Amino acid sequence: MSDRKVISPTSRQEGHAELVMEIDDEGIVTKGRYFSITPVRGLEKMVTGKAPETAPVLCQRICGVCPVPHTLASVEAMDDSLGIEIPRAAELMRELIISASNLNSHAIHHFLIATDFVPDELFKTAVNSVETIRKNAQYVVDMCAGEGIHPSDIRIGGVANNLSELARRKLYARLSALVPVVDNHIELICNLVADGALVKDVDGTLLSDEREVIPKGLGAIDAPVFASDRIYGKRDFFDLDRFTEIVPEAWYDDPEIGKRCCTSVPLYDGLAVETGPRARADAFFNYKEKGVVAQHVARAREMRMYLSRAIAILDELDTSAATLADFDPRGTGKLGIGVIEAPRGTDIHMAQVKDGKTQFYSALVPTTWNIPTMGPATEGFHYKWGAHVIRAYDPCLSCATHVMVVDDEDKVS
Amino acid sequence: MAFGTYKEVVSARATDKAIQKVAQDGGIVTALLTYALEENIIEGAVVAGNTEDAWKPEPTIAMTADEIIAAAGTKYTFSPNLLAFKTAVRQYGIEKLGTVGTPCQVQGIRKMQSYPFATRFLADKISLLIGIFCMENFPRASLQTFIEGKLDSQFDLTEKMDIGKGKFWIETPEGTKGLALKETHGYEQAGCNICQDYVAELADVSTGSVGSPDGWSTVFSRTDAGADIFTAAVEAGVIETKAMDDVKPGLGLLEKLENGKKSKGKDECARRAEMGLPTPW
Repeated sequence: MSDRKVISPTSRQEGHAELVMEIDDEGIVTKGRYFSITPVRGLEKMVTGKAPETAPVLCQRICGVCPVPHTLASVEAMDDSLGIEIPRAAELMRELIISASNLNSHAIHHFLIATDFVPDELFKTAVNSVETIRKNAQYVVDMCAGEGIHPSDIRIGGVANNLSELARRKLYARLSALVPVVDNHIELICNLVADGALVKDVDGTLLSDEREVIPKGLGAIDAPVFASDRIYGKRDFFDLDRFTEIVPEAWYDDPEIGKRCCTSVPLYDGLAVETGPRARADAFFNYKEKGVVAQHVARAREMRMYLSRAIAILDELDTSAATLADFDPRGTGKLGIGVIEAPRGTDIHMAQVKDGKTQFYSALVPTTWNIPTMGPATEGFHYKWGAHVIRAYDPCLSCATHVMVVDDEDKVS
Repeated sequence: MAFGTYKEVVSARATDKAIQKVAQDGGIVTALLTYALEENIIEGAVVAGNTEDAWKPEPTIAMTADEIIAAAGTKYTFSPNLLAFKTAVRQYGIEKLGTVGTPCQVQGIRKMQSYPFATRFLADKISLLIGIFCMENFPRASLQTFIEGKLDSQFDLTEKMDIGKGKFWIETPEGTKGLALKETHGYEQAGCNICQDYVAELADVSTGSVGSPDGWSTVFSRTDAGADIFTAAVEAGVIETKAMDDVKPGLGLLEKLENGKKSKGKDECARRAEMGLPTPW
């Protein structure tokens, strides 16, 4: 006899999604379907017909968690469409910004999983550690990108301003002082993940007061990895000819879910892919561990890489160099592609500018890639682990689908 | 109470001859900002810097004493210093910021500190706010109009402007010329007519020439931060002071002018209210 377990909405992630698991008599998931119930994405339409500079400003509003990666992907797409080569100092500033922003974002994820993994006696330590990392990382974004949340200074053609020497020295000193904090933080997170998690039923009832060790292989999936770069993102990686997009009704074998799902399903070479920290580690560091533990470990280790790269950039940055290229905003209609490695995976924006206006715009964002991958990743294990699998992939639905609440009374239930 | 809240008022001037030479009056703003910078009380300041165009000040981020001194002297037209705050605390990395402003700018900064919309992690970084006495302020085109049209002098060659003894004064290579203040009426910024703050009541320290002899300034220490910095600067010998009671013309004149501004401002507010126009007070 098979039964169905549903978590709706899945919790401690940005946005709303539903996890529907079919289970056998022993509670083992035989079919997992994960889909977004956050409706309507419309930003691509809003930027169409407007000046190219509008796109990064609006598209950063896709989400408050990843405004920085979306701004960067947007300006990269515009740079490409307009044929702009940005100055070296701007390249460094942009990479510094993404390094700091991703470091901050990974730390936020540790807040989200804290109640799963962190025992009471270590809670304060963990929270302090997250807070210290976030404060310093966001300080870098504030200084380099103008604002930590919706950055004003990441521009088409580069970044608006270089840092002053005082700012560069301050950031260098602060990030250098952050090294031991991040090292300890990574060790703490990796150890806690290895110790195990609290497990709950789908209605949130705690099944045991004891933490259970995460089963080996939980959340592992045999999907190709999708990652363009170790840190920043590489435009050449994305080949539009290998990309297809299908409607959810064609992907989910349950017509009801197909109807309710709010995202289309992106495929690369006809396959659903895995993107994110583990995918990057797999593609560039030959890290072949898979599943929930591997996701957490890969994410934590990336924090050190981001920090090291940020410090190296601050060491190299010429603060007297120009950071903004001149450009002709009229455009030739070339399809520009911007690829940024966001915290949750590869974020791709595409833009076409002609006659000084955006003619076409599209965003292929990390969680959209992971949505068809996460459901099957819950299969083969007890359904009580389903939420843990989803959280390990750290989905963020508000960029995967964008919503404007017009009527609060009539929101998705 | 006249003059708003304050702890102490004295007559003062900078002791540094280099500052005295370039300053408008007692050089208090320049002396305090340079002292605060050298003592690391502030890491930089947003000041009204000179530009290539005559009498067209621009908000300038000064990170050395020389840069502060280069911006010394009153410009009777606006420098929107608040515009540069974000750049100062972001790209320049200044976490302890000093600045100088007219009473209305000081009000704006205090309001920003109370309601920091769009000024996240910015409003808390202002460590020293110096206000300057201000009766009114002129658009640059107005200044050019008096100087060229009424004083028959060259705007670009004007070396210094000053207001005192009922006249608007300019110093030029050909000497000093004065224009009766009533001749300037109608040329001020419209907002000045409803303003009721003459002595920058919300600043940490406010200063201006009125009440003190030539070459000296009247200084109000208002907040704890302002009083601490001013006292330290006096103790360090950067600023010398005299009791207000010992100087001419003294606080009486200042109070008279302040009351004049307040009552004129109130009258104008009432007049505008009668016409159904909005006023901030």
